[in-house]
Amino acid sequence: MNSAQSQSLNVLLQEIEGIQLTHQNQRRLRADISADALPALLALLRGRAGYVHLSAISCVDWIEDDQFELVYHLWSYETSILISAHIRVARDPGIYLSVFDIYTPAAFFERDIHEMFGLYFEGSPDMSKFILTEWDGPPPMRKDFDSEQWVMDNFTWQDYHPDWLKQIEQQGGGVVKSADSSRKSS
Amino acid sequence: MSSPKTIGNKAPVLDYKSAGSLLNPLKNLQFLGRKAITEPLQPRLASLNYRGFHLNDWEACVGCASCQKICDNAAITMVEIPGLKNDPVKGIRNHRPAIDYGRCCWCALCVDICPSASLSLSREYVHTCDQEHIDSYFILPDPNGMHKKHFGQGWQKTEHSDLLSLTRSAMAELEPANRDTNFNEIVHGFTPEQAVVEASRCIQCGMCHDSCPTHMHAPEYIRAIWNGDVEEAVRQIYRTNPFAHVCGRVCTRRCETACSVGIRGEPIAIRWLKRYAMDQVSHDRIKQIVKEDGKPKASGHKVAIIGAGPAGLTAAFDLIRSGHKVDVFEALPHAGGMTRYGIPDYRLPFDTLQQDIDVITSLGVKIHYNCRIGTDKTMAQLQKKYDAVVLAIGLSKGRQTRIPNSEHRHVYRAVDLLQKISSGEEFELPQSAVVIGGGNVAMDIARSLARLQKQQFGEVKITVTALEQQQHFMADPDEIKEALEEGIIIRDSCGPQGCEIDKSGKLIGLKTWKVVSIFDEEHRFSPRYDETEETIHAGDSVIEAIGQFADTTLLGEQLTEKLEWNRGRIKIDPNGRTSEPWLWSAGDCVSGPDVVHAVADGHRVAASIQQQLTIKTNKS
Amino acid sequence: MRPENYQAVNHPPSHEYELNFGPNHPGIEGNYALKVKLQGDIVIEARADGGYLHRGFEKLMENRLWIQNIALVPRICVPDPVPMEVCYSLAVEDLDDIKVPERAQWLRVLQLELSRIAAHLFTFGGHAATTGMYTPMYWGVTDRDLILDLFEELTGGRVYSIYNLPGGVRQDMPEGFLQRVTQTMDYIDGRLKDYDNLFFTNQIFIRRSKGVGVINQQQALEWGVTGPNLRACGLAFDVRRDDSYLIYDQLDFDIPTEDAGDAWARTLVRRMELVESIRIVRQVVQALPDIKGPVRTPIPNPLAWRVKAGDSYTRVESSKGELAYYIVSNGEEKPYRVHIRGPSSMHAVQVLEKLSVGCRLEDVAQTMFSLDACPPEVDR
Repeated sequence: MNSAQSQSLNVLLQEIEGIQLTHQNQRRLRADISADALPALLALLRGRAGYVHLSAISCVDWIEDDQFELVYHLWSYETSILISAHIRVARDPGIYLSVFDIYTPAAFFERDIHEMFGLYFEGSPDMSKFILTEWDGPPPMRKDFDSEQWVMDNFTWQDYHPDWLKQIEQQGGGVVKSADSSRKSS
Repeated sequence: MSSPKTIGNKAPVLDYKSAGSLLNPLKNLQFLGRKAITEPLQPRLASLNYRGFHLNDWEACVGCASCQKICDNAAITMVEIPGLKNDPVKGIRNHRPAIDYGRCCWCALCVDICPSASLSLSREYVHTCDQEHIDSYFILPDPNGMHKKHFGQGWQKTEHSDLLSLTRSAMAELEPANRDTNFNEIVHGFTPEQAVVEASRCIQCGMCHDSCPTHMHAPEYIRAIWNGDVEEAVRQIYRTNPFAHVCGRVCTRRCETACSVGIRGEPIAIRWLKRYAMDQVSHDRIKQIVKEDGKPKASGHKVAIIGAGPAGLTAAFDLIRSGHKVDVFEALPHAGGMTRYGIPDYRLPFDTLQQDIDVITSLGVKIHYNCRIGTDKTMAQLQKKYDAVVLAIGLSKGRQTRIPNSEHRHVYRAVDLLQKISSGEEFELPQSAVVIGGGNVAMDIARSLARLQKQQFGEVKITVTALEQQQHFMADPDEIKEALEEGIIIRDSCGPQGCEIDKSGKLIGLKTWKVVSIFDEEHRFSPRYDETEETIHAGDSVIEAIGQFADTTLLGEQLTEKLEWNRGRIKIDPNGRTSEPWLWSAGDCVSGPDVVHAVADGHRVAASIQQQLTIKTNKS
Repeated sequence: MRPENYQAVNHPPSHEYELNFGPNHPGIEGNYALKVKLQGDIVIEARADGGYLHRGFEKLMENRLWIQNIALVPRICVPDPVPMEVCYSLAVEDLDDIKVPERAQWLRVLQLELSRIAAHLFTFGGHAATTGMYTPMYWGVTDRDLILDLFEELTGGRVYSIYNLPGGVRQDMPEGFLQRVTQTMDYIDGRLKDYDNLFFTNQIFIRRSKGVGVINQQQALEWGVTGPNLRACGLAFDVRRDDSYLIYDQLDFDIPTEDAGDAWARTLVRRMELVESIRIVRQVVQALPDIKGPVRTPIPNPLAWRVKAGDSYTRVESSKGELAYYIVSNGEEKPYRVHIRGPSSMHAVQVLEKLSVGCRLEDVAQTMFSLDACPPEVDR
C-alpha cells in the first residue's frame, strides 16, 4: 500500500461519524464504530474503496460488559489493507442487523454466530442450525457455558486397573489425587 | 522429467492444458510390469525423533508433575510408588507419571517441559488390544518402553525444544567498589518487572514447600507475585513465617536446592521473591494483613519465652494469636537474637529486622529487654508465674579451637566481635586478621572487619583459613564470591595448629598444616594433616569462627540437674518439650544455627504448648 | 402383508425427490452431508448439512494454555494441518511481539509448501475417485506418504506434526534432511508427467469436469471464494504474495490462474501449484544451509505465560484458500477467544449449495471435491 492510498482511505473513512481508526501495522487497520454506523461503513467500503471481500465476522463474548463484540474483517484486493471493523452490541436481547445484503458470505458467519452465541441477525437469510443440530443446551460459545463441566457431567472417565497399579496399591502407593495434595503440610 | 532442474526459473509451459489424446492414459500401461508396493507385517522403524510411546528414566525423574500440568489431554496421572527415593530436602518425590494412551496425543510437550529431562518418547508406536485388556492402555513408562522391546529413544529434549527458562532474572546489587567501606545492603532486590519475570519461571511443583523446614507456601506466593498481587503474597508468606523480611534476605533457602528448575538450570530465586513481596508492601499494610484473622479470644493463659530471637518470637507470634498472654525476656537491648547481633548490616539491615519484630510486638507480645534470666529473674520464678516457658536462647558463645596460644588476648571469637560491631561498641580493630572457619559466620566477620579496615586503614588485610576445600565450604557460594571481590584472601585446606607469638608477646600469625582428609572411614570428624606443608598466615589477631554453643548457665544448678540431657544439649521430644512438663526449648540451641529452622521450631513448640494449654483449659 | 407402521410414500407429481447425500460419500475427505432435491437426476436445490465433525475447537482453545493449543490446532484440518499450526503461531507472535528467527521462518515455509504438495496430491487423488478413476487416487495417496515420511523425520509426527510453536519451530532439522527433501521433490517432479498422462490430460477427466460447477469471477468475489478456487476464476490473488508473511517475499514463485472457473480449471490450478510449491521447496533447500542461527525465540515458562492483551487477525494461504485466525487475548494464560476462519467454511456451504443446483447427481461429488473443502475445518 502506498501512502496516497492510505491517505485517501483515511479521508474516506472520516465520512463515518464517530469512527476511531488505529493502524495496527502496514496492512491492518482497526476501526471502532458504533453498531448503528456499521452498515454505512460497509456500504462505503464496498462501494467506494473496493472492499469486496468479507473475510470473516468474528464474535467475542464480553460477558463482564454484558456485550458481544462483532468484528467484520474486510479485505480489498486493490488497497491490500485489511480493515477490521469493531462494534459492540448488547448481549441482551442480542439482536443485530444482517449485512447479507452488502456481503453474501455474511450469511454463513451470521448463522454460525447465531448458533454459537445466540446473537440473532435480523434480515439474515437463514438462522437455522447448521452444526449443533441435535443440541438443545445454551449457545456453547457463550462464556457462561462451561464446556468442561458439561463434559464432566455427561461423560465418565475410563477407569483403569492394570496389574502394575494393583501391586503398587498393595504396597501402599497409588494414584496421586492432585499435585497439591501430595505436599507436606506445616 | 518435465520439471526444471534450475531453481527459481519459471517452470516451462506444460502440455497438460491441451486436451490430451484419448490414448494418453494407455501410456501408463508401462506400470503393469512394475512390482506392487507391499508393506511388511512388521512395524516399520520410525524416524529418529519419532513421537511414539513414552520412556521415563526413573533415576532422573523427581516426580515434580510438570508433565501432568502441561498435558493438554489430562492423559498423565502421577502415581506414588513406595520404595522409591523420597527426599524432600533434595527435591525428590517417589511419584512417577503414568500415561493414559486413550487420551495421549503424542505432542511431546511433557518431554519439552520436563525439568529433569527424564521423559522422552520412543520410536515405538504400535499397540492394540481388545476391550477386555483395555487396562493395557494405562502405562507407567520406564526406560524399556511400552512392550519392553527397546525400540530406542525418539523425540528428546534439545536445547531448541526445551520449554523451561533456566536462567534467572537479573537483579541489581552494589559493585565491590561501592560497598567495601560501608555496611549498606548489597542486594537491591527485584524491580516489579524483574520479579514478575522471575516468578513466571516457577513450575509450581511444590518441592520448595516440602523442603522448607517451616513449609512455606512458596508456590502460592510466587504465583501471587506473578499475578501482581503482592499483598496476597505477603498473606501467603505470613501463613508460616513471621520472620518474612529476615528470611527474604538471609535464609539458607533449602527451597532453592530442592527447586526442580534447578536440576538443569538456575533455581527460582525464591528468597529474593519473598523479599520483593515484603519490600513492596508498606509496613502498616503488612501489620493489617497479619491482623486480618481478627482478635483472638483471651485464653487466660500466660507463656514466658526466654530469648527474643526468631524461634522465641515465632512461638510468641503463634501463641499470642491463639489468645495467650506472652512475655518475652531478652538479655540484650534489642530483639532479633543472632539475626540482630550476628548478621552484618550489609546482609540484613537492622531496620528491616526491626519491621519483622514490630509486626510481632504490634500483636501485643511484650518484650522485656535487658532482662537476663538467671540474674534478673530465675527460672523458678518463671515456672511459678507462667503456664509454660520456652527456652529459645540460641547459640551465643563461640567455640574455641584450643590450639596453642589461643588464649592470647588478640584471639577472638567471631560471635563476640560481630556483636560488638553490630551494637556499635568500641573495640580494638586489628590491622590484620586471620579467620579460622569456612562457614557463613567466618565470612560475616571477615567481611565486616574488611569494611572497617578499609574505612580506617585504607586497605584490607584479612585471611580466611578453613579445613575444607573451597568448593566444600559451608558458606554460601555468593558469600565466598563477594568476600573475594572485597579483597579477602581465602586459604582452603588449612588446619590450624597454633597461634604464633613473637618475643614481645605480640601475636604475629596463625600456623596451619595442609589438610589431607577431614573425616575418617566411619565419617567421623578426624582431620589428618600433611605436616610438611606448614604455613604461617600473618596477622596481628586471630578470629575463631568454628561454631557456637548455647549458654545454659541461666538454668541454675537445680534445674540443670533435673533436666534430661542428650550430648550436651537439653533433651527434647519431637514437639520441642523438655523432660520438664512446663518447659519447652526451641531454636538454634536445639536445632543448630539457622533462621528458618528456628522459625519452624517456634511453630512447633507453639503448637505443642497450645495443645497442652487446651487440655488444661478443658480439664478446669 | 404390510407392516403395521407402513406409510405410503407420496411421490411428488413432478418426480421431485430428496436425497441425503452423505454424510459418508466419495465427495469429500470426511463426513459432510448434502441434502439435495432432485428433479429426475438434476439437482434443483441443495442444503449443506455439517456438524458431523464438530469438536468445539474454538471453545476448547479458550480453556487451554497458549502452548497447549499447538497440539490442538493441527487437528482442525486433517489433510493440510501445517497452515493451522503456523497461522496460530503467527497470530500469537503478533500479539506478544515475538520475533521469529530467520531460520525458523525458512523451516516453516519449507514445511508449509511440503504440506501444500501433500494436500494437493490428496485432493487430486480424491477428485479422480469421484469420476470413477481409482488409480490416481492410490497414486496421490502413496506419493503423499513420501511427504509424510519427510514430516516424520523433521517433526517426529507424520500428519499432526505439532512442529510450530509461538517463537519458531521446536527442533532444527536432522542431518541430511535437505538431501532427502530434494530426492522426494525430484521424484514428485518426475511423477507429474505420469499424473498428466493418467489424469490431467485424460479425456475422461476433461469431459467429465469441463463446465461443471462454473463460477465466474464476479460470482467468486461476491461469494467470498478464495485460494485455488478463486485463481481458477482468473484472479491472481494469493495471501503469500499479497498479504505476505514469513519470508515469502524473498521467494520467487508464480501464481497460476485459469479462466474457466469450472471443476476442470480448479483442479488444473492445483496441478500448476504443485510445480510452484516444488519450486519454492527447492529455493528453501538451497537457501537454508546458509541461514544460521537458532530456530526458536524462547518464550516464557509456558505454564505461566500470559500473552499481551490485544487482538490479531492473521491470515495465511492454505492449500484450500484463505485461512485466518482471529485471536483475542485479555492478557491471561489462556486465549480469550479464538475464531478460525477456514477457507472451506465458505466453499462447502454457500458456494456448494449454489454450484450444485443444475448439476446432475453424478457430478455433485465432483463439484464438491473440486472445491477442495475440508469438513473438519467447517465444523471446527
